[in-house]
Amino acid sequence: MLAKEKNNSKKFLITVTNNHIKELKVNNVNFLFPIKELSVGFLNTYSLSEIDVDNSFIYINRILDKEAIKKLENVLKNLSQNIKGICFTDFGIINLVKKLKIDLELIYMQNHNTTNYRSINYYLEDVDSVLISTDITLEEIKVILDNASKPLVIPFFMLVNVMYSRRKLLTNFSEKFNLEKKNKVLLNEPISNNNFLAIENDYGTVLYNQKFIDYRNIIHENVLYYYINPIDLSLSLIEKIIKEEDIDDLSGDGFLHCKTYYQLKEEK
Amino acid sequence: MESIELLAPAGDLEKLKIAYFYGADAVYCSGKKFGLRANANNFSLIELKEAVLIAHNLNKKLYVTVNIIFHNEELNDLEEYLLYLDSINVDAIIASDILVIRKCQELNLNLEVHVSTQASILNGESGLYYKKYGVTRLVLAREASLEDIKDIKEKTNLELECFIHGAMCTSFSGRCVLSNYCTNRDANRGGCAQICRWIFQIPNINQIFSMTPKDLNLIEYIRAMMNSGVNSFKIEGRMRGIYYIATVILAYRRIIDKINSNSLTEKESKYYLAVLNRCANRDSIPQFINKLPSANEQYFLGRNEVSNQDFLGIVLSYDAYNKIVVLEERNYFKIGDMVQFFGPNHETYSYLIEEIMNENNEKIEVANHPRMIIKLKVNFKLEKYDMMRLKVFDKQNFL
Repeated sequence: MLAKEKNNSKKFLITVTNNHIKELKVNNVNFLFPIKELSVGFLNTYSLSEIDVDNSFIYINRILDKEAIKKLENVLKNLSQNIKGICFTDFGIINLVKKLKIDLELIYMQNHNTTNYRSINYYLEDVDSVLISTDITLEEIKVILDNASKPLVIPFFMLVNVMYSRRKLLTNFSEKFNLEKKNKVLLNEPISNNNFLAIENDYGTVLYNQKFIDYRNIIHENVLYYYINPIDLSLSLIEKIIKEEDIDDLSGDGFLHCKTYYQLKEEK
Repeated sequence: MESIELLAPAGDLEKLKIAYFYGADAVYCSGKKFGLRANANNFSLIELKEAVLIAHNLNKKLYVTVNIIFHNEELNDLEEYLLYLDSINVDAIIASDILVIRKCQELNLNLEVHVSTQASILNGESGLYYKKYGVTRLVLAREASLEDIKDIKEKTNLELECFIHGAMCTSFSGRCVLSNYCTNRDANRGGCAQICRWIFQIPNINQIFSMTPKDLNLIEYIRAMMNSGVNSFKIEGRMRGIYYIATVILAYRRIIDKINSNSLTEKESKYYLAVLNRCANRDSIPQFINKLPSANEQYFLGRNEVSNQDFLGIVLSYDAYNKIVVLEERNYFKIGDMVQFFGPNHETYSYLIEEIMNENNEKIEVANHPRMIIKLKVNFKLEKYDMMRLKVFDKQNFL
């Protein structure tokens, strides 16, 4: 673990956030398409008919209400052969897929509650893989990878979603102050001086930490996919990421070397 | 209609006793470990045992939150903790991490497992996933609509618990780590610093941005929620004080009982709504139950919190022979103030303060020292834990 190896042995999973599919379409890349009406946090979403790449994954990251479950059922019944799997956050999908007897790779991608290997191993009884949390240290990731019962998906280079609200926060704000409505706004929290990118659609608002996390030094034999979420990145930058070339000042290492605490007495 | 439970928060044993006294059927609290209010007092292992005894002596229930998202370092102590909670006959734990849910099933514990709102359940299929692992109750996401609730009930036939009053997260619960990034405190292990109530800036237009939600208040929807299959009505607020707990629990106790006896009038509902609004420090509104919240359900200029000093004292004892009530003072009051005594076993009494005595039976003009002992001559019967508040409005004006 934790030594660089040639990237041609890695399999990448890349969220499709722009139109660079043709350029990035190589053997070791699988695309993940946010699906219309069933995903949040993306300006571009896709209907099934727009997905024409083999071995693609669909991304269902909404928390699904009754109406969304109906839409999802319709999507699942109309999947074509080029869809290899589903990345999801709502456990209702597990049940629905079984009920409809659909044979697809299921990847649980809720990056805030996959923080220990025992929980992950329980999840793996129902799914094929799990995205490891973006909220934990390098040491914690190592223990998880060493003990997981199936190969996992690990963050490779991504914008991390840090908050998901059902509220249309940008719409509400623009209406309140009579401003032009935008679906994407950069926010600054002045005390910590953190910047967050807010992206809204009809199904809610997602805040991303503006700094990408760069976990490209992490390799392990128990990895199924290395995950890239390249919101706002140019094609050349995405190519650099896959080639593991340096990128100027875009990224940090998140919580890899920064343990969080939760009781005030722990604060130093 | 199924049996209905009123579920109260308690941050310590005093609040737990108050919650039961004012009409809660069940109380939820946390031990010192594994709960999402890591910086509240919380209950020691011995206090948890005492809490269970108090609950069961009153024929009521006690639930314990074990609802953090576990990291590797917390794994070792979990099993022992769950076995302890089971051994002292805790009625249920509230969990969100699949680890806790599965561990309870594997250990074949007697206690029930309720899935926390942290799991953000909004559909029946998700409920069925958890049902497979032995849970008996789902605490639904605060974002659930009446239609979602009905559907989940029909599909799962599990007990459903819904928050009806108190603070809201801006985010779906469990899906926010703003606190981790802004303060390094782990939101999903009880360290949330409520960043969604902070002020943000939009740099390129030099405009402040806020996403602070108003509080939740579903008093107008209790009947509809009962009809949709809700079994347990939950009040938020393990960090809140006893006056808040007493007032909110009593209001909802009255509402639920009157709905059950088919005697609730619209005017009474308005009265209880006014009572609830008076004891809150933020505006409270229905939020998601019937529509998607708009700008009206948020604050845009920070926390907008106001507090009052309505809570004047708590009754320690009542001498029925001499008609003297002994109070512990909580806020300043004086001769000439018009106040109210309220409690669960009688109507609210209005009372004009004409004479105040201290604990040495000396006459004084004002009660101005927090927690000082005060005696008042009162002709109506009161009991321990009844409370005295400033009279702000009269129920008769609503009827």
